[in-house]
Amino acid sequence: MGVHNRISVFRAERGLSRKELAEAVGVNPQTIGYLERGDYAPSVELALKIAQVFGAPVEMLFSLKPFASLAQTISSKGES
Amino acid sequence: MYVRSRRRPMGSAMSPLLARSLFVALYVLYPAGCILQLGPDAGDTSPIASIVGLLMVAASFLAFAVLAGSSFQRQAQEPDSKLDERELAQRNRAAYRAFAVFAGLVALGLLYMSLRADFADRILLWAPTEQAHWNALFWGAIMLGLSLPAAFLAWENEPPLED
Repeated sequence: MGVHNRISVFRAERGLSRKELAEAVGVNPQTIGYLERGDYAPSVELALKIAQVFGAPVEMLFSLKPFASLAQTISSKGES
Repeated sequence: MYVRSRRRPMGSAMSPLLARSLFVALYVLYPAGCILQLGPDAGDTSPIASIVGLLMVAASFLAFAVLAGSSFQRQAQEPDSKLDERELAQRNRAAYRAFAVFAGLVALGLLYMSLRADFADRILLWAPTEQAHWNALFWGAIMLGLSLPAAFLAWENEPPLED
């Protein structure tokens, strides 16, 4: 079971580049790419640092289950 | 061995494909060049074979020199404090694999020498006898030992994503 994340969504929303996010959390920009691709599961420390940068709870960014796509989330909200 | 340049302290950005090609060139050209120059039939073949062997060895040294400044070699050789957690995890895996391969090759070499000694009266197997033979083996082992962890990293790393 891998760790799923929404880093790319949050990053796009805040207009942050991978390099800027990497500098903010003290890692190589390539590591952000690995995280976004799901090729690397971060340590608790790194996950908390990333959540801190976005000012969001860590469980909004990382999950053991796949996140619903943006389209699914919007359509389900529209129905309710 | 990592050669840091002032212009590129993080190592020269090289695509994994190019790095893999250079590692293959290094690991194929060096032994092939040495065999052409110093192998059992080296004295019997034409001088052209010897020149080609020398050129192959020179090309392998060139590949080694280019790789020495690459980001893969940086990741393989930097102190822990200069790498992030993902780089360290990858480096540890690569170092473990490189050690296993290197130790396996040393064991095979020892097995070969042992078999050669045991069956010397029945089969004629080549063995290093001259200074040049030991020199070639020594530099081959040095290059292999210094480059193998970075080679595993080149096979593990994916090309960076574009922003």
